[in-house]
Amino acid sequence: MAKELIRLVDCCMAFDDELVLDHINLYFNDSEFLTLLGPSGCGKTTTLRIIGGFTTPTSGEVLFDGVRMNDIPPHLRQVNTVFQRYALFPHLNVFENVAFGLRIPRTVEENGKKSKKKLPEKEIRQRVLEMLEIVSLKGFENRRISELSGGQQQRVAIARALVNRPKVLLLDEPLAALDLRLRKDMQSELKRIQQQLGITFIYVTHDQEEALAMSDTIVVMDQGKIQQIGTPEDIYNEPKNAFVADFIGESNILDGIMHQDYVVEFFNRKFKCLDKGFQPMEPVDVVIRPEDVDIVPVEKGQLRGTVTAVTFKGVHYDTIVDFKGFKWLIQTTDYHEVGKEIGIVLNPDDIHIMHKSQYSGMFGDYSSYSEEYDEINDPTYIEEEDGNLGGRGDEE
Amino acid sequence: MKGKNRFGRRLSMALVFLFLYAPIFVLMVFSFNDSSSRTVWQGFTFDWYKELFQDSIILNSLYTTLLVALLSSAIATVAGTFAAIGFYNMKRRWRTPLLTINNIPMTNADIVTGVSMCLFFVAAFGAWNAFAQQFNADHVAQLPTLAMGFGTLLIAHITFNIPYVILSVSPKLRQMDKNLVEAAQDLGCTWMQAFFKVVLPEIKPGVVNGMLIAFTMSVDDFVISYFTAGPATSTLAMTIYGMTKKRISPKINAVSTLLFVTVLLLLVVVNVREVRQERAKKHPARQQEKNPRGKKFLLAGAAAAVILLLILSNQSDQRVVNVCGWGENIEPSLIEEFEKETGIKVNYQTAESNEAMYSKVVMGGSGYDVVVPSDYMVSQMRQEGLLAKLNFDNIPNYELIDDTYKNLSFDPDNQYAVPYTWGTLGIIYNTTMVDEPITSWSALFDPKYAGQVLMINNPRDAIGVALLYLGYSVNTHDEGEIQEAYELLRQAKAEGVYQSFVMDEVYDKMEAGEAAIAVYYAGDFLSMYDNNPDLAYVVPEEGSNWFVDAMCVLEDAAHKEEAEAWINFICQTQSCLANMDYIWYASPNGKALEEYPAYYKELYGEEMAPDLYEVMAAPADVLARCEAYDALPPEVNAIYKNLWTELGIKDG
Repeated sequence: MAKELIRLVDCCMAFDDELVLDHINLYFNDSEFLTLLGPSGCGKTTTLRIIGGFTTPTSGEVLFDGVRMNDIPPHLRQVNTVFQRYALFPHLNVFENVAFGLRIPRTVEENGKKSKKKLPEKEIRQRVLEMLEIVSLKGFENRRISELSGGQQQRVAIARALVNRPKVLLLDEPLAALDLRLRKDMQSELKRIQQQLGITFIYVTHDQEEALAMSDTIVVMDQGKIQQIGTPEDIYNEPKNAFVADFIGESNILDGIMHQDYVVEFFNRKFKCLDKGFQPMEPVDVVIRPEDVDIVPVEKGQLRGTVTAVTFKGVHYDTIVDFKGFKWLIQTTDYHEVGKEIGIVLNPDDIHIMHKSQYSGMFGDYSSYSEEYDEINDPTYIEEEDGNLGGRGDEE
Repeated sequence: MKGKNRFGRRLSMALVFLFLYAPIFVLMVFSFNDSSSRTVWQGFTFDWYKELFQDSIILNSLYTTLLVALLSSAIATVAGTFAAIGFYNMKRRWRTPLLTINNIPMTNADIVTGVSMCLFFVAAFGAWNAFAQQFNADHVAQLPTLAMGFGTLLIAHITFNIPYVILSVSPKLRQMDKNLVEAAQDLGCTWMQAFFKVVLPEIKPGVVNGMLIAFTMSVDDFVISYFTAGPATSTLAMTIYGMTKKRISPKINAVSTLLFVTVLLLLVVVNVREVRQERAKKHPARQQEKNPRGKKFLLAGAAAAVILLLILSNQSDQRVVNVCGWGENIEPSLIEEFEKETGIKVNYQTAESNEAMYSKVVMGGSGYDVVVPSDYMVSQMRQEGLLAKLNFDNIPNYELIDDTYKNLSFDPDNQYAVPYTWGTLGIIYNTTMVDEPITSWSALFDPKYAGQVLMINNPRDAIGVALLYLGYSVNTHDEGEIQEAYELLRQAKAEGVYQSFVMDEVYDKMEAGEAAIAVYYAGDFLSMYDNNPDLAYVVPEEGSNWFVDAMCVLEDAAHKEEAEAWINFICQTQSCLANMDYIWYASPNGKALEEYPAYYKELYGEEMAPDLYEVMAAPADVLARCEAYDALPPEVNAIYKNLWTELGIKDG
C-alpha cells in the first residue's frame, strides 16, 4: 500500500455564510496522480488552495505526514503550485523564473543553530537546466516570458514549481487556456513527467476527459461535497449517483424499481442486471451508457422508439431516440435517419443501478440535449469563479 | 494631399511644443540678460547666477523646497504604494468608495486643504502646548512645545502627495496577474520577499511615476505651504510670491533655469538607464546579477540624507528670530552678518502685501517676531493691540534715526515702530514720449495722453492721486471728496486715458517704452531707470504720498529680545547703506542718507547723479508737500472698496 502524504479531516470552508466546502475527508498518497473533478464552484480549487496554504479552512484539519498544517504559510510547505494562468514573473527571463525558488535563502537547522542558506550558483544552474530539459525547453533559458507561446509558458510554470523538488505538485486547471491539440499533448507530457519524477500530482479540472486520461484516482466533487472517489474505470463504470453518471461521460438515467437481486424494472419491463444488495421493490436510478445500447430492427427490440435527431461525430453518430416521451442518447456507428422506428437490446452488463439521491431526476434526459453537450465540450470554456474563492474576493 | 496632411500634423506638433517650451526658453534666455528687464535684451551675463549664490534667502528657500520635495515624495511613495496594495486587496464594495474618498483631496481646492491643515495644526498644537505647560510645571520631565515649521510643512506635503501615488500605483497593481504574489509565496517567499522580488518590479513604473508626480507637486505647491510652513520656513514658491510686492528679481529666472535643467538631466538619466536595461534584457547572458554597488550607493545616499536632516533639525537650542519682510527688500548678506555677529539665527520670510501679512498675523500662529508694515498698517495693528512696546534700551542705534522720521502719525510717541525705509509716490514718464516735462497729476486725467497712461492698480493710491489733484487730503473721510476723486478717475477711464491698471507689469512696459506715463514708487523708478535712461521721475507740485515702512515687534512674539537685537542691527549706518544700495529705497538713518553718495562712489567708482539721489531721498522741500497715509476707519475703507469695484477693476 502506498504511503499517505496529506490528509484533510472534516474540512469546511465558508465565505459569507455560504458553505463552499462541506465536511471534506480526503487523503493523498505518495506518487499518486489524483484529480479533483467537478463543475464550477464545486469546491475543488478551494480544496487545492487549502493544501497550498493560500487559505485556511473554517474548520477541520490539514495534516501533512500526520502533522497539523492549518496555519503554516505557503512558503514553509513542501508543496508547489502550477497556477491556472501560469503566474510567471514577467520581469524575469525563463531561466530566472525557474531559478526563482532556488534563489530564496532557506532557513536551515544545523547543530541546533538556525541559519539562512543560499544554494551555490553552480547547483542552481545545474538544477534549472536539468528541469528545463525535463519539460523540453532546453535552449530557451534566455527568452523573455512575453516571447513564449501558451504551451511553452505552461512548461516554464511546471519547471518553476518542480525545480524545488516538492513532495506534492498542485495543478490548478493548467491546461484550460490551451487549445485542444496542445491540451492532448500536454496531458501525456504531464503524465510522463509525473511518472519520471515519481511525485504526487494533485490536479484540478472540470474536464472529465482529461481526468479520465491522466489520473490514478479521481475525486468527483459537487456543491462542496465529495460525490465519489475511485479509479477512472470505477468512476465511469460504477457511478455512485446521477450526478457522477452524468458528469463523467454521457448517461441515460431512468427511474426504475429493483424487484430483487439482478432484476430491475423500467419502462414497465423487467431487465436482467448485475447489481444486487438493494431492498426489495426499492426505487432506483438506472444508468445506461449511450455506447452500450445496441440498435436492432423494431421487431427484435426489447424497447422500441423513434429517432428524433442525428449528429455525425466522426467515429460515431449521436442518435437521439424518443421512448414514450423520454429521450435517450445512443451512440452507434450505423446511420439511422430521423423519423425511423427502431428497437434496442440491453444486455445485463449494460445496465448499472444506483441508489436514489438528491440528484435523481436532474440528469440523464436528452430532451434539451444540444446545449448541455456543447457546454461540456467547449474547449474555450474556462472555469472562472472557482479561482476566486480564496482570499481575494473579486476580480477586476 | 498626403504631403499636405503630414505638413499639417507636423505644424500642429511644432505649435504644441512651442507653447509648451517657449515660456521656459524665454525664462532661460532672460536669466542671462544683463539687465533686470524682462523684455529688453541688454547683453549676456552670468551676474544673476553669481547673485543667486550670494542670496541666502533664495538659497535657503531653494534648499527647503528640495528637501521637502525629496522627503515628502519618498515618504509618500512608500506610504502610498502600501496603501494602494491595501486597496487592491480589499473587496470591491469597500474599495470603490474608499478610492473615491482618496481622490477627493486631489480635487479639493488647495486653499481649503491649506487653511484646514493650518487650523488643525494650530488647534492641535495649542491643545498640546497647554497640556505640556501644565505637565512641565508639575513634573521634572519636560515635554517639548510644538510650533509650525519644517515638520508641519513636510507632513502637509506628504499628505497631499499620497493620493497621487495611490492613483499612479493602483492601475499597475490591477494590471498585474493576481496570482503572482501567491506564486512567489508558493516558491518560498515570505510576503515581504514576494513584494520586493515580484510585486515591486511589476509596479515599478507606477511607483516611479507616482514619485515624480509627488516631487513635482511638492515643488509646485504654494498655497498649502503658505499656510503650513510656519514663520521659520519658506519654500521657493513662497519666496518668489513674496517678491511680487516689488519686482521679481531675475535671480528667479536663474534659479528656475537651474531647477529645470536639473530635472531635465534627472529625467534623461532615468530614461537612458531604462533603455540600457531594456537592451540588457534583450541581449541577456547573465545580466541578472544585480549591481550591488548601485544598491549600496542608494542606501548610503538615503542614510546621508537622514543624518543631514537630523543635524539640521538639531538646532533647537539656538536663539532665533523670525522676520517677515517683503521680497527683495533686504540686502541678503546682512542676515549672515547678523547671524555671525550675534549667533542668533534669522528665519526670513516674505509676504506679498501688507494685507497678506496682516491676515496671517491675525489668524494666529504666524510665529513672527519682527514684521515690517507700512505706515497705515502700523497704526491699524497698533490700534488692534497686535504690536508690542519696544524696549529701546536694546535698540541704542535708534538714536541714529533722523528726527524727521520720528513722532509720525502712525506711532506718535515712538513706542512701537522703528522706521526701516521710506519713499515717495510719483509720476514716472518717458521723456521721449511727452512734449514737456510733467509736473502735475493732471497728466493722469488728460485725454491728450489717451492710451499712454498706466494707472496704479490699488484703490488707496489711485483714488489718492485723484484726491491730491483736486487739492484734498489723502486721508480725507469726506465721502463727497472721495466720490469726486472717483468721478475723475471714472471719466478718464471712460475717455480711454488708461492703457491699463498695473502693479508689477509697470517695469516691463515702462522699460520697453510701451507707455509714456505711470504712477509708481520712487525706489522702483530707479531700477527702471537702470534699464531705460529716457525715464524720469517727478513728485507733482500738488504734493504726494510719502510712505514709511517700519519694523515692529509683535505682541505675541516669542523672541522679543532677539527681535530688538535685529532691529538694532538694521539701524546701524553700515546696514542702512548696504540696504539702500540693494533696494534703492531711502533709509531713515540720517548719517546713512548723507553718506550714501560717497558710499556709491567708493563702490562703483563713479559719482551718483544728484537728481537720482534726490529721487531716492527726497529733499525736505519735496517732503514738505507730501502726506503720509493714515489708517482709514472701516466705513471709509468700505467706500474705497465699493468705488473701486464700481470702477471695474478688481482689487488685487
